[in-house]
Amino acid sequence: MRGYRRYYGKKLLWYLVTLFVALALNFFLPRLMPGDPIAAMVSQAMGDGAVIDAEAIRAVELQFIERFGLDQPLPMQFLIYLRNVVRGDFGTSFLQHPRPVSDIIGESITWTLALQLPAIIVGWILGNSLGAIAAYLRKGFDKGMMPVLMFVSNVPAFGLAIVMLWLFAVNLGWFPVGGGFAFDMVPHFSWDFMMSVLRHYQLPFWTMVFITIGGQAIGMRSMSIYELNADYVKYARFLGIKDSKIIKYVFRNAMLPQITGLAFALGAMVGGNIVAETVFSYPGIGITLLSSIRGGDYPVISAATLIITIMILLANLFIEIIYGLLDPRIKAAQQDV
Amino acid sequence: MGKVILEVKDLKTKYVTRFKESVYAVDGVSLQIEEGKSLGVAGESGCGKSTLALSLMGYYFAPLHYISGDIIIDGKNISGMKPDEVRKNVLGREVAYIPQAAMNALNPTQKVIKFVEDVVRAHDKSMSKKDIYDMAVQRFEVLGLPKEVLSKYSVELSGGMKQRTVIAISTIKSPKVLIADEPSSALDVTSQKMVIKMMRELMEKGYIKAMIFITHELPLLYNVTDDIMVMYAGQIIERGTAHEMVFDPVHPYSKGLMGSIIVPEAGTRDVKLEAIPGTPPNLKKPPPGCRFAARCKYKIPTCEHGERSPRIFDNNRMHRCIHSVEYLQERYKNEREAGSKGKVSETGAE
Repeated sequence: MRGYRRYYGKKLLWYLVTLFVALALNFFLPRLMPGDPIAAMVSQAMGDGAVIDAEAIRAVELQFIERFGLDQPLPMQFLIYLRNVVRGDFGTSFLQHPRPVSDIIGESITWTLALQLPAIIVGWILGNSLGAIAAYLRKGFDKGMMPVLMFVSNVPAFGLAIVMLWLFAVNLGWFPVGGGFAFDMVPHFSWDFMMSVLRHYQLPFWTMVFITIGGQAIGMRSMSIYELNADYVKYARFLGIKDSKIIKYVFRNAMLPQITGLAFALGAMVGGNIVAETVFSYPGIGITLLSSIRGGDYPVISAATLIITIMILLANLFIEIIYGLLDPRIKAAQQDV
Repeated sequence: MGKVILEVKDLKTKYVTRFKESVYAVDGVSLQIEEGKSLGVAGESGCGKSTLALSLMGYYFAPLHYISGDIIIDGKNISGMKPDEVRKNVLGREVAYIPQAAMNALNPTQKVIKFVEDVVRAHDKSMSKKDIYDMAVQRFEVLGLPKEVLSKYSVELSGGMKQRTVIAISTIKSPKVLIADEPSSALDVTSQKMVIKMMRELMEKGYIKAMIFITHELPLLYNVTDDIMVMYAGQIIERGTAHEMVFDPVHPYSKGLMGSIIVPEAGTRDVKLEAIPGTPPNLKKPPPGCRFAARCKYKIPTCEHGERSPRIFDNNRMHRCIHSVEYLQERYKNEREAGSKGKVSETGAE
C-alpha cells in the first residue's frame, strides 16, 4: 500500500508538471500566430468600414487592447491568465464579444460529447467483438473480415465522411447534408427538434463508429490470437475446462491493451474530430476551435486546448488506475516502485 | 506383475502444418505402466517427447491430430471417445498433465483459487465454493504448500512455487495417471528437488497411481523413475529399467545420449564427453529403415532399408537396432578399452 501511494504521488507530480507546460504552450502558441484579432474586432464593432474616422477607430482599438490586457508584456499576460484560469475564468471571446469563453466551450463541448462518446463506445464494443470473433473462428470469417477491417481502419476520417455525405445525403437524400439540427430551428426541447437532431446525428455518428471499429478490431484480433496460443490456454484445456470458459480468460486478457485504446480515444474525443465535424458542419468543439484559430481568438483557443490537455491527462491517469486494478502484473510493478 | 494402469498400443499422431503438410511426431508408440510405477521418457529436443505427452491425453486440438492406436487407462479405452466426453470424464480425473512451461501455465489475471474452482467445477458442478476451498487447502497442506498461495495471483509466486502449485492443481482430482512434461527443467536445483519430492509424495499417498516423466535430463530420470524409455524421431528405440538404461544402454543412440551427460562424480571427470553429431531427422518425411542411421557410427548398408521392429531381450527390455545386443556390447567394450589406453576415439558418422 505504501509503495502504491508513493507510485501515485510521483505520477501526480509529473501530471502537474505536464499540465503546467501544456498551459504555457496553450497560452503562448496562439499568440505567436500571425494576424491581428483586434483589427478584426474593431472593424466588426464599427460595422465594417461604416466609420472611417481614424481617430475614432484608434480609440475603440485602445479600449479593446486595454480591456483584454494586451498592452501588458506577454509574461505578465501569462500570469494574469494563470490567475484567471485558477478562478475558472477563461475571459471573453474576441470574435463573439462579449460572450464568455466558458459559455462558448460549454455549448460546443456538449455537442461533441453527445456525438463522440456514444460513437466511440459503440465503435469500441463492435470493433472488439468483431476482432475477438475473427480470432476465435479464424478460417473463412477471419479471411473475409480482415481485408475489410484493414481497409476501414486505414480510410482517413475526412474521406469516409465525404463518401458518406455524398452517398447518403446528396445522392440518396436520406439524411441532411450538415449541421447539428435543421437550420430553421432554434434549440429547444420539443419532439420536432429532437427528431431533427437525431436525423442530423446519423451520418457523423456512423462515420465515427466505422473509423473506431477498424483499428479496434485489428488490435483485438491479434491480441486474442496471441492469448489463444498462450500456455495457460493449453494447460486449462488439458485440465478439462470447457472452451467457453477458457475463451472468457482469453478475451479478458486480450482486452487489457484495448482499454488503453478506449481511454485514449475518450481523452482525445474532447478535441473533437475536427475533420469530421467540419465536413458535416457539426457544431462541436472541433469547429469552434477551427474558427477561433482562423480568427485569432486567443482566449477560446487557449481554453479549448487546455480542456483537451486536461482530458488526455485524466484519461492517462484513469488508465493507470484501472490497469492496476485489472492486471495483477501491473499492480505488482506499481507496488515495487 | 502389478495391475496395468496405462497401456498404449501403437499410438500414432501427427501435426498438420498450415501448408497441409503432416509431421509424424509420434509414430507407433507402445508402452505399459503398472500401478505404483513411473516411467521416464528421454531424448533430444525434437524427438517427439512433448508430443507424446500431449498425445497420451487423448484430447486433440489443432495442429495435433490423432491417427491410430489405443490408449487404455485402467481397462478403459479412451481413444474412441468423443472429445467432450474425454474432456469431462478423462482429463483431470483419469489422466492429468503438467506442462513444460509451468511459468506461464496459470492465467495471469486470475487468483489461484479461482482457477482451482474452474478446474473442479469442470468435472463436478455440484461442489460449493466453500467445499472446493476446503479441499484445496487440505490438499495443498498435505503437499507442503502454504494455503496463502490460493489467494494469490501467479505473478506473486516464485518459479518453484508456481511449478508446485501447478502440480497440486493438476492432481487435485486424484487422476490415475500423471504426465509430467519437463516439470523441473526450468528450475534451480533446490526447487527441482522440492518438485521431485512432491511428485514422489503424490505417488506414495496414492493421489496418483502411475506417472510418466518426460525430460532431457537423464541423471534426474535415474533418480526418479523405475523405467526409462528413449525416444528418437517419434519412436521408442530402447526401453529398460532406469539402472539398465543408465549403466548398460544397448542402442547406439541411447549409448550416445548417456555418454553426453556430465557426471560430477570423482574419477569420471577425465572421461571424454561425447556429443552425438547431427540432428534428428525431419519428421515430415521420416527416413526409411533405422531413423538414427544417418548419425550412427555403427551403421551398415542394410540399416537404411526395411522397418526396424522392436526386439525384446533380457526379460522385457527392448531395442530397435539392427545389430544384436552381444555385438553392440562387444563394440562398446572395445571402445572403452581403447579409450582408456589414451586413444581418442573418433566420433561422427562414417
